Amino acid sequence: MLKEFNSDTPLDQREDIVVCNQLNKWFGNLHVLKDVSLNVKQGEVVVILGPSGSGKSTFIRTVNGLEEIQKGDITVDGIPLSNDVADIEAIRKETGMVFQSFNLFPHMTILKNITLAPIWVRKWPKAKAEKIAMELLERVGIPEQAHKYPGQLSGGQQQRVAIARALAMQPKIMLFDEPTSALDPEMIKEVLDVIKTLAGSGITMIVVTHEMNFAREVADRIVLFDFGEIIEIGTPSELFDNPKHERTKLFLSQIL
Amino acid sequence: MDKHTLQTNKPQKPSHHRTIEWLKKNLFSSWFNTILTFVFATTITVIVIGSVKWIFLTANWHVISANFRLLIVGQYPVAELWRVWICLTLVSFLIGLSWGLWKGTMGHLTIAVTSLYVIVACLPFVLMETRIWLLINIVVIVATYAVGKNWPKLKKSTLVGWFLMFPVIIFLLNGFGVFNHVGSNLWGGFLLTLLIAIVAIVCSFPIGLLLALGRRSKLPIVRWFSIGYIELIRGVPLITILFVAQLMLPLFLGNGIDIDNVVRAMVGFTLFTAAYLAENIRGGLQSIPRGQFEAAEALGLNATIKMTFIILPQALRAVIPAMVGSFIGIFKDTSLVAIVGLTDLLGMGKNIISNPEFLGTQMEVFIFVALVFLIFCNLMAYASRRIERSLGVGKR
Repeated sequence: MLKEFNSDTPLDQREDIVVCNQLNKWFGNLHVLKDVSLNVKQGEVVVILGPSGSGKSTFIRTVNGLEEIQKGDITVDGIPLSNDVADIEAIRKETGMVFQSFNLFPHMTILKNITLAPIWVRKWPKAKAEKIAMELLERVGIPEQAHKYPGQLSGGQQQRVAIARALAMQPKIMLFDEPTSALDPEMIKEVLDVIKTLAGSGITMIVVTHEMNFAREVADRIVLFDFGEIIEIGTPSELFDNPKHERTKLFLSQIL
Repeated sequence: MDKHTLQTNKPQKPSHHRTIEWLKKNLFSSWFNTILTFVFATTITVIVIGSVKWIFLTANWHVISANFRLLIVGQYPVAELWRVWICLTLVSFLIGLSWGLWKGTMGHLTIAVTSLYVIVACLPFVLMETRIWLLINIVVIVATYAVGKNWPKLKKSTLVGWFLMFPVIIFLLNGFGVFNHVGSNLWGGFLLTLLIAIVAIVCSFPIGLLLALGRRSKLPIVRWFSIGYIELIRGVPLITILFVAQLMLPLFLGNGIDIDNVVRAMVGFTLFTAAYLAENIRGGLQSIPRGQFEAAEALGLNATIKMTFIILPQALRAVIPAMVGSFIGIFKDTSLVAIVGLTDLLGMGKNIISNPEFLGTQMEVFIFVALVFLIFCNLMAYASRRIERSLGVGKR
């Protein structure tokens, strides 16, 4: 496990919290990740862009072991990801994940959704877990929904609950897998705003998204994926204003 | 306000007018419908008149009243019947307590059970003793309801009580040295039907759950064992399993151990139900979207917590109708034990018919047996509907 870092330290002097080395993955004959290597510093916000089917979602899901890789190594927070269940669970304790389709537990109230993992994994007393859950709901702006069920909330509200649920475990790393892709346009902003405030709080984040303005605004570095490979990595201004690679230019011309 | 305007805008017609309109619209809208209406009306009238005539004039209900005790508790010795009554009182105790604690669904069930007690107590032929016991039971239900209502902390102890009830009842009925021994060959009638059904239902649930999880396990031995077991049991008729339990179980266990006939039947039913239940539950597990598993895993929940709190509650709720279907099926299938020499409700009915004294009364006996099954199956179906509804909170 890595030491706490000082937020005054410049990014390039911090330690790598996520280390991915030469990841390879196949679905049958389909080579979905080709020698993907990416290191993420403590407190860094990395945004992954790319056309659909380019392997970016698959990549982010390998970081917490939801997808197995066939070749390569991943180290998260100093713990090497192996087939050992204990290692995987230790990594998942430190990585929160937000899904495209929210995946809240429909049979539990919002409060129970958020407190379940802290109570059973972190072994917090119920009162403490509920207090922190309420603070988080306050932070994402929906404390009044605590005793409702997920089905009674709008998509944007559900996604904000999902963010609160992931944060309740007090993870060091947050993974966002297209958090706004399943939302109605008028709800995208409320979720992006929550993620933006989070990005300023010093937590390490890897975000897969199609929201270009958001990427430009929050990212420390942007990674461009295509055909299962990393095409280009750079700061937002390098990548948007001065793309080096032909495929980056093509991708940007298609969406901007 | 809306209601008010609606009412003033639509002046109500006199009710007999509306009835005639309804009849015209629904029964006599065309000449074809008119013919259909008359044909069905005649058929229904003939059937109803025939049944009423038979029930009140032709049928000889003496066969039921004379054999009521046999039909309900079989050959259980009259001198020891108080033990059966104590068992029933225990059940009433727990029912009343649960009613007070959980209200809702339990309330409706309690009312159903209490009305059954009242109806039986009002039957003209039952003994005074029976009436007194039933009255005690009703009093117990009301008293424990009051207790449960005022002490909500008793919930856990009541659940434990429900589980402890089964061994206690078996102990009371058998005696096991403390009371006079009453072998299970003397247990019979509806008592036996209920015992076998309840034991099979309660015991098969955990086994079925494990088999369902086992069939989805990543460990090949566990998976193949579960698949093998489920497919073997499902591929064999229940009767065969009952015969195997009766004849083969003693062989497997050697000479020294003598297992009770009734226990053998219970084991057979439990193993049979477990296989079907496993498939029901697996269906429920299959219906849970992958995202639920992933969300639970991403939070760092281990496999046990993930199953207990996330997957199973959703999966089981989804298959309540199917599970209750299995349970009702097994409740009715208990009548097959007559073939392996036990006298359940139906078996007892057949014994009574073969008694020369009651020659030609099979209609009465079978209708009575059917009625008892009908009442209890409907109670189960009703309970399942209520549970489904009360668990449906917040789910769309």
